[in-house]
Amino acid sequence: MPVTDYQGSSSSPFSFGRSLLSLRRDPAAMPSGEEADLEAFQRHVAATLAELLPGGDAAGGDAAAAAAAAVGAEEFLSVAWIRRLLEAFVICQEEFRVVVAQARRRGALPAAAEKMVAEFHERAVKALDVCNAARDGVDQVRRWERLADIAASVLRAPGEIHEGQLRRARKALSDLSVLLVDDTAASGSGGVASFLSSHRNRSFGRARASPSRSAVAGAAASASSSHFRSLSWSMSRTWSAARQLQAIGAGLAAPRAHEAGLAAPVYSMGCVLHLAAWALVAAVPCPDRATALQAHHLPAAPPRAAFPWAPPLLTLQERLAEEGKRKDRRHSCGLLKEIHSLEKSTQKLAEAIDAAPIPLFGDRETDVREAAAELTAVCEAMRDGLEPLERQVREVFHRIVRSRVDGLDSSMHNAD
Amino acid sequence: MAEDGEEKLLATVQHIVQTLGSSDTMTEDILKVFSNYDGRFSLDKLYAARTAAAAAASGGGGGAGGIGGDHSMPVSPPLPPPPAAAAAAAAAVSGAGGRPPVTSMERTVRTLDRQISQFVAMDRLIWADSADADAFLEAIDDLIGTVQELDAAGTNRALLDRADELLSRCMARLEDEFRALIERPDDAAPVVPGGFGSDGSDDDEDFGGGDGYGDEPIPIAKPVTDYDVVIDALSPGSIANVHQIAKRMVDAGFGRECAEAYAAARRSFVDESVARLGVRPRTAEEVHASQWEELEFDIARWIPAFNMVFRILIPSERRLCDRVFDGLAPFGDLAFIAAVRTQALQLISFGDAISSSSRAPERLFRVVDMYEAVRDILPDLDPVFSDPYSAALRAEVSAMCNTLGSSIKGIFMELENLIRRDPARVAATGGAIHPITRYVMNYLRAACGSRQTLEEVMEGDVGANGGAPVAVDPDRPTSSLAVHIAWIMDVLHKNLDIKSKIYRDPSLASIFLMNNGKYIIQKVNDSELGVLLGDEWIKQMTTRVRRWSMDYQRTTWGKVTSVLQTGSPGIGGLPAKAMQQKLRMFNTYFEEIYAAQSEWVIADDQLKVDIRAAVEDSVMPVYASLINRLKSSPETGRDLYIKYTPEDVVAHIQHLFEGAAK
Repeated sequence: MPVTDYQGSSSSPFSFGRSLLSLRRDPAAMPSGEEADLEAFQRHVAATLAELLPGGDAAGGDAAAAAAAAVGAEEFLSVAWIRRLLEAFVICQEEFRVVVAQARRRGALPAAAEKMVAEFHERAVKALDVCNAARDGVDQVRRWERLADIAASVLRAPGEIHEGQLRRARKALSDLSVLLVDDTAASGSGGVASFLSSHRNRSFGRARASPSRSAVAGAAASASSSHFRSLSWSMSRTWSAARQLQAIGAGLAAPRAHEAGLAAPVYSMGCVLHLAAWALVAAVPCPDRATALQAHHLPAAPPRAAFPWAPPLLTLQERLAEEGKRKDRRHSCGLLKEIHSLEKSTQKLAEAIDAAPIPLFGDRETDVREAAAELTAVCEAMRDGLEPLERQVREVFHRIVRSRVDGLDSSMHNAD
Repeated sequence: MAEDGEEKLLATVQHIVQTLGSSDTMTEDILKVFSNYDGRFSLDKLYAARTAAAAAASGGGGGAGGIGGDHSMPVSPPLPPPPAAAAAAAAAVSGAGGRPPVTSMERTVRTLDRQISQFVAMDRLIWADSADADAFLEAIDDLIGTVQELDAAGTNRALLDRADELLSRCMARLEDEFRALIERPDDAAPVVPGGFGSDGSDDDEDFGGGDGYGDEPIPIAKPVTDYDVVIDALSPGSIANVHQIAKRMVDAGFGRECAEAYAAARRSFVDESVARLGVRPRTAEEVHASQWEELEFDIARWIPAFNMVFRILIPSERRLCDRVFDGLAPFGDLAFIAAVRTQALQLISFGDAISSSSRAPERLFRVVDMYEAVRDILPDLDPVFSDPYSAALRAEVSAMCNTLGSSIKGIFMELENLIRRDPARVAATGGAIHPITRYVMNYLRAACGSRQTLEEVMEGDVGANGGAPVAVDPDRPTSSLAVHIAWIMDVLHKNLDIKSKIYRDPSLASIFLMNNGKYIIQKVNDSELGVLLGDEWIKQMTTRVRRWSMDYQRTTWGKVTSVLQTGSPGIGGLPAKAMQQKLRMFNTYFEEIYAAQSEWVIADDQLKVDIRAAVEDSVMPVYASLINRLKSSPETGRDLYIKYTPEDVVAHIQHLFEGAAK
């Protein structure tokens, strides 16, 4: 995989790579310091993205990428991976800041360049809302985890499992299913949630201890079905992750041959920003998330030959799209590996409970216990991961805000 | 049992009606407080919403499956006998502890099962009747004790199973009661006199907070400036009931379920309260796309809403939660944060969005208002967000304070850019005060109204460590703000200097600089800017103005006076012809100057007087002496033509700088 090699662009159908090279040979067109800076930036972006490639993809590529992938061996779309992706964005943005600052230090930027930088900031601001939605999403996942953990830990108590514990576990799973159904409804898919909800109708319904005949108690019962409502998003009701991603990617087009200077870095940052936002939306529950996963919302693919970071970025995009299309993930509430595990383990536990006669003994009990142990492990991993993930999401948020504060957008005020 | 229950329910309802009189429920009263705050939400709407909710509730209620008849015990298969050693050990423990024999335990469980099943099957709230509630709680306490004993003994698995199963049914029922009591506290009976009524907190005089809520005054909407208010969403009696339930749930190991149920039950109240304050969720993008006028309106709503939420609503929720979960610490913390988190974050998001939006200088004042609101509540948040669960929320508030601070800094920087970029294309006519000077000076003067805050922000690191703002000496002219303002004045001066160059006439350039300089000095002197910039700066500026005035004298009147020079009168003296030539030159110059400079402007009256006087002082002596010498010269005769008498010249000088309009 030609991660850093775009010398071969003379044979490519894209003229930009060629013109970039020819520009490079023309010292009058671009001062050498600036040229070196810009080129280094492109290479750094490429290397940073290459490090995120899943092991298999990097294997065929150059040694640096493979080694990098081996270092961060965590699974694709795991919490750890998402955190590294966000970190990669932060690193790229910092470098971008430096590139712009240096360009400014060499002299006032032409108006067109200032406009491009401002446009990137407009894009980045759109990602702020994605960060907020993701923060809510992480909190929502935390609620799932709490309920799943109740179910799991009840069944892991020492001693035999008896009806009381099963009842309690069922109730926790039933509450969880309400949340999942709500969230899948919000993000427009079915999957485990619909399984759990039908499961609930079959077996959890009778487990509810609510009285139901009179109006007073009836009100209590109906409140109980709505009370585990999905969290109210701190976003406005009409906010859509899909629309937001489209806005972030809107008008993101590779610079034309005559656009030198900051055009390429600005474009690179736009692409990296879109990738990070897209992965975040894909990973955690967000309003209108399912539509966002569809690959046809992606901005035009960057020309591979012109930008060293294009191949790793495109590989990551492909992997994300594939992951979203996988049968067992298509209706998931989030592509995050930990969410997938939670869904799988919860379903397994629900099935084990369902199949279990009372009292439990022998294989059935082993099944339930194993499922509970598995779910407990999943919950633990999730608890450990969500806290730092949320912090990282906030970090990205504040970095974006700060990059504006620091006057990177000093020409902005004319906009309004 | 059912009939009995109905009677009690009726009696309860009558009691409620009596005690409440015509007043609405507590919750409604509180929502009313919030509604009054924002006139857009009428009580009519509120009632409509509640009626709709009630209709939905009763409509959907019938479907839930009754569990009442479902408590038949599963047939227990024979359990493998425990190993002899273990059984012996257990028996020894049991004997040593003096526990009742297993048969009596069986009897206990059977009795409890009978009792509890009745309660669990009850098709109305158990807490609608305090006697029922007490009996139910007592049965649960017995059951929890029994389960613990059975568990410790470990000898009768089947009985423990049965007790445990019974306990889980109690807990499910308790959770429903718990939620109902929190969501609709008025459905339950007031606590019996002498019960768990007094809540131990006497400081809520605001609402006359005694126990028994029937005769409590309705909370009154206080002026929004007074945030020293606590909302009691639940009456002390309800709190006592709810606390009793929470305690049982935690005792039975159902604390996490209890916390989740609590949060879910309170969240709708919190959501509704915030909605009533008239703030709606705004995404960062919306904020960026909005007109400033619109955002100003939003900020005007946001600040009091933020205060209401962080000073009243959230601390009240904290207090309620602390009471409900009194002595049940970690669950209360978990429940509290889950109840308030979303709404708190929504308010914070708006602050963040404003911070990250445009830095147009006119935004300074509203952003300062926001910053001050946030900064001022920071210390008060510590007791509310003291536990580890709410630490993240506390951190979000101080992070917002920080970003607002940086934003203020950024806006101030932007003023600098605005000045620097102000084009020098158009000159102020007649050398008058340039609009940029007026804008910047008035802006800075207004900014001085928030001097303390600006000092704080400029010193940096405000709230960065989550602490109180750094104390700064406000009268220190070397403070960051002072330095920054001096810098802005410098930038303004440079910009004016560039602008002065577009006047072709250097005299007019001097007048322009003088006018603007004088205006700057005036604005500095009659505001706190004087303190910030210091006497030294003012002295320097005054010197500059004097120098510009001298430049003017020199460039305009230098050649005039030199033309009038006739040398020392004693020695020789010029021939009359030369003197007449000088007079003609003077006339030409003077006419040119008068034509141009009578349209020039000196904005400051005193300065105008001074400048005219200075002109007179420099011109009149030489002119008068020339005229005198011409008059007294023998060579000039009667045909001496003097176009301007000295009096004329003085009169003309007095008409300089009147401006084009005059």
